[in-house]
Amino acid sequence: MNIIDIQNVTKKFSNHIALNDFSLSIPQGCIFGLLGPNGAGKTTLIRILNQITAPDSGVVLYDGKPLCRDFIEKIGYLPEERGLYKKMKISEQTIYLAQLKGLTKEEAKKRLLYWFKKFEIESWWNRKVEELSKGMQQKIQFIVTIIHHPDFLIFDEPFSGFDPINTDLLKNEILQLKKNGNTIILSTHNMASVEEICDEIVLINKGEKVLSGKLGEVKHAFKSNLFQIEVARLPLDFLTEMPASFQITETVTTDSSHVLNVQISSDSNANQLLDFFIHRVPILSFHEILPSMNEIFIRTITSQNNNS
Amino acid sequence: MNKIGLIISREYFTRVTKKSFIIVTLLTPILMAVLIMVPVIIALNSEKEVKVFVTDENDYFINKFADGKKVHFLYPNGDVEMLKQQCIAGECDAVLQILGGSQSNQANLYFYEEPPMSLKGNIQEQMDKINFDKTLIDTFRVDLKKYEQIKLTSQTLIAALQIDEMGKAQASSMELNRIIGIICGIMICTFVFMYASQVLRSVLEEKTNRIIEVIVSSVKPFQFMMGKIIGVALVGITQFALQVGAIFIILIAVQAFIPRTMLQSEMVPTEIVNNMSDNAFNVNVASNIPQTNSIFNDISTFYNFPFSTMIICFLFYFIFGYLVYASLFAGIGSAVDNETDSQQFILPVTIPLYLPLVLISSMANAPQNGIIWWLSMIPLTSPVAMIFRIPSGVPLWELITSMFLLVAFFVFCVWASAKIYRTGILMYGKKITWRELWKWIRY
Repeated sequence: MNIIDIQNVTKKFSNHIALNDFSLSIPQGCIFGLLGPNGAGKTTLIRILNQITAPDSGVVLYDGKPLCRDFIEKIGYLPEERGLYKKMKISEQTIYLAQLKGLTKEEAKKRLLYWFKKFEIESWWNRKVEELSKGMQQKIQFIVTIIHHPDFLIFDEPFSGFDPINTDLLKNEILQLKKNGNTIILSTHNMASVEEICDEIVLINKGEKVLSGKLGEVKHAFKSNLFQIEVARLPLDFLTEMPASFQITETVTTDSSHVLNVQISSDSNANQLLDFFIHRVPILSFHEILPSMNEIFIRTITSQNNNS
Repeated sequence: MNKIGLIISREYFTRVTKKSFIIVTLLTPILMAVLIMVPVIIALNSEKEVKVFVTDENDYFINKFADGKKVHFLYPNGDVEMLKQQCIAGECDAVLQILGGSQSNQANLYFYEEPPMSLKGNIQEQMDKINFDKTLIDTFRVDLKKYEQIKLTSQTLIAALQIDEMGKAQASSMELNRIIGIICGIMICTFVFMYASQVLRSVLEEKTNRIIEVIVSSVKPFQFMMGKIIGVALVGITQFALQVGAIFIILIAVQAFIPRTMLQSEMVPTEIVNNMSDNAFNVNVASNIPQTNSIFNDISTFYNFPFSTMIICFLFYFIFGYLVYASLFAGIGSAVDNETDSQQFILPVTIPLYLPLVLISSMANAPQNGIIWWLSMIPLTSPVAMIFRIPSGVPLWELITSMFLLVAFFVFCVWASAKIYRTGILMYGKKITWRELWKWIRY
């Protein structure tokens, strides 16, 4: 079941095309990574989902129905460039923003107090935003984003400006939201967090989808038959005996072991590699090296940019 | 709709509860009252008693000068030199030496400390009259009493009467109409610019601190822009009402504070004539002498002034003038990145607001014709120009046409600004040109 179906959406600006015949489906209940270099069209896509801008052509379906103003209250959006009224009290400001999302004043206050207590920031209630640090403001903004219990959440660079402790706090909240059945779009350049929490990803470049799918599948598609094997000692004859289909790309020697990265050619397989070592030396560990999202990102985008 | 109400109330209450709002609202009327009252009080109280010793070689002028409220003429014996010494000693403020013989229309006025400016004029007028009367009696053998009587009955009185469509005539004070028109024009101009600028600054603030992105994901940019414009308008109306109320209270308090006699007949004209002639003393002194050309000869003309029309029109032109400029400023504020960049767009749209004021002095003689007529029809200038015309009477159809054009233009401005706003508010780091704005409007 897809919560969002983007079908052939095109959005042009005066001098460039932000999205070109773009289609994408976002399944319900997942954390969906929206990746792409700067200027790829991510923000435009997010703004279309938020109905801040309208596409020139194409349709966006929310829960199978064309996107309209009625869905505004089902969406929570934490923009990358986010701000608050500096001179306004935090309590008044958060209540106001929650009311704009359709909550009553009483309900907004009740929920806000719950979250302030949970984040242990009750003492900020009557302070002004200008007294808070950037990270503190981020917390407030996160609360405002989820306060109206939206089914569908869009976080644009949610971790920027957070210290590791707060990053962790936020990560857990996002995972909790997923557990509660919400769908989350995570737009970020922080690939580590993508690998950590995303279920699916899409990679956009120059307004077009270049890569998409489940995180594991994407990584497997990019694997290059690279394996890491850790052995207690190096076999004496291995340089001469090892078949040519195994290529050692890296060797790290420690006091107690040797770690080898081995590239296996396509006509060979991992079992054959293990077979070679297993008769010669004790094996401590063995696993396949999958490319990181970082590598996949760089490799895909640079090769695409070089081709064009 | 509910959200617009929410936006309006936020825009309204954050401003109204600000300390600066309360202070400005209360201080302005006090300051205005002080500015109006102080010169009047000074003029009334500070003029010290002036004692003038008169010496006339022909003795003709002895006991002929009429004392004013603060001017006393005394006729001691002794020659000029002695009187001068007494003047230095402070026994009098001035010595008037009228030359003898055929030179009875020549005099010297000696003083040690400078007397009030009006003294010389006062003496001159009195001597003119005494000499004139003397000539009448000596040369023409005129019965002076009879002459005065004839002069009084043959005095010309012109009543300025304005007729309306029904042919009903009403006394009108042309000078007063101009003054009220100009004051109201200046007020509209100031208020409109002041509150429209608040909208501009507020839009810019939301754009630069990026809260706008959160807000436009909740409400339509148009709703938000209109909510802001209306909210600030209500702030303006509140401030205006409070200030008018405060001025009213202050005036009542002042009336209770200052002795009634000082306020009657003399006080009111002095206060306003003051502003015009810039010479309080003249009026005070001149009040002894029959004055036929006072614009307040008939104080009742004041009450024939079209107050209700004026108040309704003032509010209308203030509100719609503000709405036009506020929506233009909102559009401009959304398109630029900082206040400095906004200047190039603000200036061209603000010039029409001030244009009528700049031209007012040259048009004061013909408030109903020519260029002011056109300015009172053209929407950007009409709020000020029409207010200037109203006290002098404006045909109903002209008023309605002007109002209609203003409202229609407001609708156009909101439409155009909303288009600019929608695009501009999320556009950063781009130098905007007029051409770019035009493209956004058509987009």
